[in-house]
Amino acid sequence: MQAAINLRSVTKSYSRGGETLRVLDELDLEIDGSTFYALMGPSGSGKTTLLNLVGGLDQSNSGIVQVGGEDLNELNGSELAQWRAENVGFIFQGFNLLPVLTARENVELPLLLAPLSKRQRREQAERALDLVGLSDRMNHKPRELSGGQEQRVAIARAIATDPKIILADEPTGDLDRDTADTVLELLQRLNRELQKTILMVTHDPQAASYAAKTIHLDKGKLGRIDDNHAPAGN
Amino acid sequence: MPWKLLWRNVTGHPVRSSLTIGAVAVAVFLITILQAVTSGLSRTLDASAANRLLVQSAVSLFVDLPLSYQQKMMSVEGVEAICKWQWFGGRYEQDKGGFFPQFAIDPETFMVSYPEMSVSAGSYEDFSSTRTGCIVGQQLADKYDWEVGQSVPIGGTIFTRTDGTPWTFTIKAIYESNSPSFDEQQMFFHYSYLRESLEQGGATGPDGVGVFMLRVASGTDPLVVQSAVDEMFQNGPQRVQTTTEAEFNRQFITMLGDVPSLLRLVGGAVLFAIFFAVLNTMLLTGRERTRDIGVMKALGFTNRTTAGLLIGESVLLCMIGAGAAIGIGLALERPLAIATATLLPGFAFNRGTLILAAGIALGVGLVSGFLPSLRTSRMTTTQALQELG
Repeated sequence: MQAAINLRSVTKSYSRGGETLRVLDELDLEIDGSTFYALMGPSGSGKTTLLNLVGGLDQSNSGIVQVGGEDLNELNGSELAQWRAENVGFIFQGFNLLPVLTARENVELPLLLAPLSKRQRREQAERALDLVGLSDRMNHKPRELSGGQEQRVAIARAIATDPKIILADEPTGDLDRDTADTVLELLQRLNRELQKTILMVTHDPQAASYAAKTIHLDKGKLGRIDDNHAPAGN
Repeated sequence: MPWKLLWRNVTGHPVRSSLTIGAVAVAVFLITILQAVTSGLSRTLDASAANRLLVQSAVSLFVDLPLSYQQKMMSVEGVEAICKWQWFGGRYEQDKGGFFPQFAIDPETFMVSYPEMSVSAGSYEDFSSTRTGCIVGQQLADKYDWEVGQSVPIGGTIFTRTDGTPWTFTIKAIYESNSPSFDEQQMFFHYSYLRESLEQGGATGPDGVGVFMLRVASGTDPLVVQSAVDEMFQNGPQRVQTTTEAEFNRQFITMLGDVPSLLRLVGGAVLFAIFFAVLNTMLLTGRERTRDIGVMKALGFTNRTTAGLLIGESVLLCMIGAGAAIGIGLALERPLAIATATLLPGFAFNRGTLILAAGIALGVGLVSGFLPSLRTSRMTTTQALQELG
């Protein structure tokens, strides 16, 4: 299987209060395409930082971050923005829907950056909402939706542009168990049926069990990669 | 640019947006009024006739000149006609709280010296031939529903009748004006009637003339006449000050102080106040939107787009406010012009004033939106997302 994401000797440091904090330390990691990965580790182990580097939200101090064959450290700010628009879908813990827009308009938002007509954007957004089971909620604003529905809208937004990679940062952190399972099953479906490469940060072993593989980070270094032989959960 | 998002951001906080729009509208309306007043003053001065000189006491406008000066001034080369102007200062008996200027003038030289006047009703000849006749401005006639032939009782305050009754004038003509320097809320009657009443003991009041208007003959330099008249009375009995009509009007306007500078100062203060109010709103909005902007950046929107959203929101709020102010201003233009006609005959919202109002709103909107957008543009996407709290 072709590696979708390739990290070589990646180091990322932050300056805080005059001290340099090395969050990722010479990290090497290879992530296969069309695979659902969970990314686990204690707080401060560099999970979110890794997700940000892979998603082109931040750049490493050294090393190579190659995603879909593109070396992200070679891109400037506007090139990175365009790359994100075309290649990555993000799902955040707090859903991060724009409160003034309806569910459909939120899903349409990333499509504004694609060369599509208004009608095409609308149809594509409606398809994405249909896929997450929210056809009947597309004209509702976020405050009119439950947490689980909001996260499903966020997933629809992440897949609206049909990216190859979906990055999820604690997508079930704000949800109860049952709702979380629904969202995780949806991610699993996206991986299985649409062949999306998914990298999901989580603290929850049960959430991680939905993934095919679990990457363990510890103090900015790769611990181990587990093969979850029973990814369907339980 | 996601225009729908821009519009929804404006309408998403109806109370806050309405208050900001209202504040901008009030401020822009005020600035528009001040500008209309300032440009009205300029128009009044600009419209002053170059061939009319005004002669008043060198001591003060409130000191009368001897009547005998008229004959002497007629001997000055280049003086074509003289018309006396005597401030009457009476009160209309039917509206003692209201005010409009009344002047005693010479009918023979008055109309021919003011070609900006034209008679819209009645007859100037009737006015000239009727000792107690008067001519009133169209706006004044409209205000009190006066008609030609109607008697107008005016109670004297400077010139009072000895029997205690009001002066009674009969409207013989109504005039219109096509110049901002000559307003339509004045009343004129015969100086000779006033003079005779004083001489015959029917009335009491100051003896003399407030201002002489000299009409300068075509081809004569008004400055030469001006110097000659001033020189003629250099040694008394009472020195005079001769000015052009424009200078006379300017001095009249500045009797209360430097009005244009004062208005500009107030306008500037209002401008700063509204700038800080809008800036405060936009800084608050910018902070609230940091999360949304972080999300948009993560989705692939550039700094230019996210900055454009904040600047666009600010400009939109200000332009809606300015539009409301301009609309209200235009609706109130006519009533305001009538209300201020006596003091400010040139009051009007011209195109320059409206462009200035829109320009101010645009400027305030751009700067107020730019500062918060600068802050969010300097933040990385991860920093913006970390402000989630």
